[in-house]
Amino acid sequence: MVKRKLGALEKVEADLSYIEDFRAQHYQYESHREIFMAAPSGATDTGIISLRELIDFISHVADCYPEILKDFPQQLIDMLMQHHMVLESELREKLVGSIVLLKKKDLLDSATLLHTLFPILISTPSKTLRALLFQKILSELRQANSKTTHHKLNRTMQTVLFNLVTSDRKSSKGLWAIKLTRELWKRQIWTDAKAVEIMKEASLSENEKVIVGGVRFFLGGDKEREDMEDESSDEETLDVGRLRHNLQINKKSKKKARVAEKAISIHKKKERKKSQPHPLNFSALHLLHDPQGFADSLFTKHLQSSKVKLNLEQKLLVLQLVSRLVGLHKLHIMSLYSYFQKFLTPRQPSVTSFLASLAQASHDLVPPDVLEPLIQKIANEFVSEASAGEVATAGLNAIREICVRQPLAMNETLLQDLVMYKKSKDKGVTMASKGLLSLYRDVGAQMLKKRDRGKEAAMSLRSGDKEQRRFGQQESGGIEGLELLEKWKEEERRKKRAEKGLASDASDASDDEEDDWAAWNVEDDEDSDDSGEWINVQSDVEIDLSDSEDEGKDRPSKKSKQDGEATKENDDAVQEVKLSTLATTRILTPADLAKLAELRAQASVESAVNGPRGRRAAQPAARHTDDPLTAEEIEGLASLSAAKSTREERIAHAREGKPDRDEHKSKEARRRERKQELGKSTTNKEKARRKNFLMTLGKAKSKNKRSLVETRAVLKAHHARQKRGGKRGNAGN
Amino acid sequence: MGSSAKRKKEKQKDFQKPKLRVGKAKAKPENFTDTSFRSKAIVINQQSLHVAAPTSSSQFAHHLSLLSSKSDSQRRDSLAHLTTSIAARPVNSPLPQPVSVMLPSFLPLILDANNSVRTALLKLLRTLPRNDVEDHVVQLLPYVRAGMTHLAADIRVSAVEILSWMIDAAGEAVVACAGGWIKTFNCFLSVLGWHTEESARWSSNRASFGKSGSQGRPMVKVLGALAEFLNAGIGQPGTSADDGSEQDNMFSAQPFPLCQTSQHMISESSAPYAYLNLFGQPRDEEGEMYETREDRYRVFAVRFLPAIERGLKSAREEGGELGRASSSVSKVLKEALSYGPGP
Repeated sequence: MVKRKLGALEKVEADLSYIEDFRAQHYQYESHREIFMAAPSGATDTGIISLRELIDFISHVADCYPEILKDFPQQLIDMLMQHHMVLESELREKLVGSIVLLKKKDLLDSATLLHTLFPILISTPSKTLRALLFQKILSELRQANSKTTHHKLNRTMQTVLFNLVTSDRKSSKGLWAIKLTRELWKRQIWTDAKAVEIMKEASLSENEKVIVGGVRFFLGGDKEREDMEDESSDEETLDVGRLRHNLQINKKSKKKARVAEKAISIHKKKERKKSQPHPLNFSALHLLHDPQGFADSLFTKHLQSSKVKLNLEQKLLVLQLVSRLVGLHKLHIMSLYSYFQKFLTPRQPSVTSFLASLAQASHDLVPPDVLEPLIQKIANEFVSEASAGEVATAGLNAIREICVRQPLAMNETLLQDLVMYKKSKDKGVTMASKGLLSLYRDVGAQMLKKRDRGKEAAMSLRSGDKEQRRFGQQESGGIEGLELLEKWKEEERRKKRAEKGLASDASDASDDEEDDWAAWNVEDDEDSDDSGEWINVQSDVEIDLSDSEDEGKDRPSKKSKQDGEATKENDDAVQEVKLSTLATTRILTPADLAKLAELRAQASVESAVNGPRGRRAAQPAARHTDDPLTAEEIEGLASLSAAKSTREERIAHAREGKPDRDEHKSKEARRRERKQELGKSTTNKEKARRKNFLMTLGKAKSKNKRSLVETRAVLKAHHARQKRGGKRGNAGN
Repeated sequence: MGSSAKRKKEKQKDFQKPKLRVGKAKAKPENFTDTSFRSKAIVINQQSLHVAAPTSSSQFAHHLSLLSSKSDSQRRDSLAHLTTSIAARPVNSPLPQPVSVMLPSFLPLILDANNSVRTALLKLLRTLPRNDVEDHVVQLLPYVRAGMTHLAADIRVSAVEILSWMIDAAGEAVVACAGGWIKTFNCFLSVLGWHTEESARWSSNRASFGKSGSQGRPMVKVLGALAEFLNAGIGQPGTSADDGSEQDNMFSAQPFPLCQTSQHMISESSAPYAYLNLFGQPRDEEGEMYETREDRYRVFAVRFLPAIERGLKSAREEGGELGRASSSVSKVLKEALSYGPGP
């Protein structure tokens, strides 16, 4: 009721006939404010209530009388800033709400609003007020950034937060900066380096809560952001066709039409959004300015120094962050590896997390002789016949994960020793050992015993094309999936030539070129159609360009001609050379790039489907360098070993991969359910079956009382109807 | 269909009116619950019985605390009690409680919704000694102003009455205190509806905001108060007969070398340095103190003179009681204008 009245106030226009009444109310407000300000803490109930109502009223009509209310926003701000400690809670909330409302009416700019609310947020002891203020600040920032990024406001706010974190490193006030930044990061409002800088300073603070908040942001902030995005994108997928259909069937009314129209427009907007280019989102770890310095100071401040007050869990978080930074940016913190030494025993609590961190911290630029003693220690402590299966599994998995990143850290005897565990009785240990074996078949087959090498590795060793990589050696890069594109192009051309009835191997450059230009123009076709003049100009340009491009274009096609003539023996070698030249000799058109992405996706799907061999190959590729290594991965299959898990766990594991299936039902029942869900009608049979029992009673009774003649008539009629094919006579068949 | 007829009869019964007979008790409804009970003795748990009657001072304090009671009649009765006990005290004996203690509980009653409470309050205020009022004008004025702009017309009228009592008791203090001149003047204009040209016309529905009051002739009272207010603020200094006689005294009472001694003595007012505003909020133009007639006249001439003249003209044109009341204001105004900005 009250809400509606206030809503009506919003519609009052600046009508001068009300000015006298408004002025009286304003004087009323002024005198109440004066009374209140004389003794803010000792105001009476009625006084507070009337002041609250007056503030409410005046702020709702404030935009109509800007002359009279010049000082009003400032008065409210002063009242809130000076007395927020002693104000009655409801009045305080009303003040906050009114200030936000004045901002909405553009009587106040957002910078002032934030400068008012934020200091109170930090200093107030009231929990409800903090919650309210946080929500208001957040929504204000979101609102300011809704249309375009409000750079100026963001910058000032970020500076305020940065100063908050850096000014007093011992206080827990930095938590507000963290909370705010994390929330805005999650919603992709702040995606720049400055926000990351705030978090960096927070993780270097001296208050445990602030440290953990900052570290958690780096470890989980991006994941959170992705989840949020997914959530918002698959909110509800509207079936437009069904909506239209329903609109036709159901009763038509203006309201329904309006609702449907709105739903469709939202759907269209969503579709448009989907087709828009994805905004560049760098992960927080990539936006760090000085990862080496950051990791160094994190390590020395929170882990290495003797006077840290962090508990094990918090230390582990910091360690995870440091090791991720080291792994991701390939940093060098030599003392980190010796720090790990003392934690690598099976008795250490949450040792798997330590192992995971160690594996994360190793990369191919870490000197192998730093890692070797660690691997040796893991092998000694964890992997032995005497140790429990889980322990050995964890140790082997950890060694494997380290060696994936730095294969040179392993020596021959140890490797051969560890590989022998593939014959172990424990399943987890066997799997882990086999994993190590298959890794070294790939990266260092000569270190394995001959019988362990396997066919492929042995053959490639003999032919000498697989050498162990040296320390620091980098793989030459290429464009992933480029060879697929090349192959596809070749095939397309063959097809086309076959259609024309030409020899499939010969090439003609002009054909290709035309296609290429078509591909370039795919996107700006509509633009060029706008005016006749421009088409002429562009066609000239095109001719020029195509002339100049001719020499460039000729090369690959000539090469392909040579390929055709080439013999089968050196086909492989030539192909390799050719593949690498595709990107260097031609400019890939947008159409090409789209096709490339498509082919790549197709290939990954195929490799996942094609048996265990393909899957194993795909596994390391599927893992992105940004993804963290978790303790669960180190634990590996140990948790699944049959003897240890309960029945429930096994059932849960068996269910894991399957889509959720709630209960067992017949196929028919399922179908019926689905039909009902879609709002479709039932069959006559179904209707007859579901008919109320009492309604059928009468007919059944009368059936019993029928005379012979009546029964005959009914049977006859039934027969005739059957013959006719239904009541209405299905004459067609 | 016997059963159906029976049911029909039953149904009809529900809608038949029960017959009431003289001399017989009303039939109890069907769902009547008997709540009466019998007991041998009734014990009241908390009860304070004293042999001695409460002293008059404790009674006074009790009634003072009852002023914030929820019940209207309770407030009114307490006010009446306070009034009689203040009025009936022996001459020259101090008040049962100092004014500064009593006033905070009086002030919210200026805005009380009940008529009789406000009337009782006015009676009570009138019994207070005048010189005590002077020091508390600053606390009183905001409430009076809030009352003058209140939505309820009755509250406006009684606020105006309180203001005229204040002017009567401590006129100089009312117009000279912080915010006392401009803000109060604004309230007057808003009560009369004289702020803008449009609203001052006789045809416009003047002073119509809020509920209309039950007491008649509110405008007449307001005009009367305005005349007093103007007189206190910018009236001819000679008429108040303060300054001149004081000056005369100054020269005559003291022997020759001690001329203007009183200027060098400690001031007699309770807050001699109030104009410095050492501890309060910073004041704007409206909330400033205008201590001399000269200041007040300057502000009046700039801000209010046109509005007042316009309003007076339309009131005179309206004639009747209102016209007569406006003539007293015009008289004061004429005198003030003739005196000009001052010597």
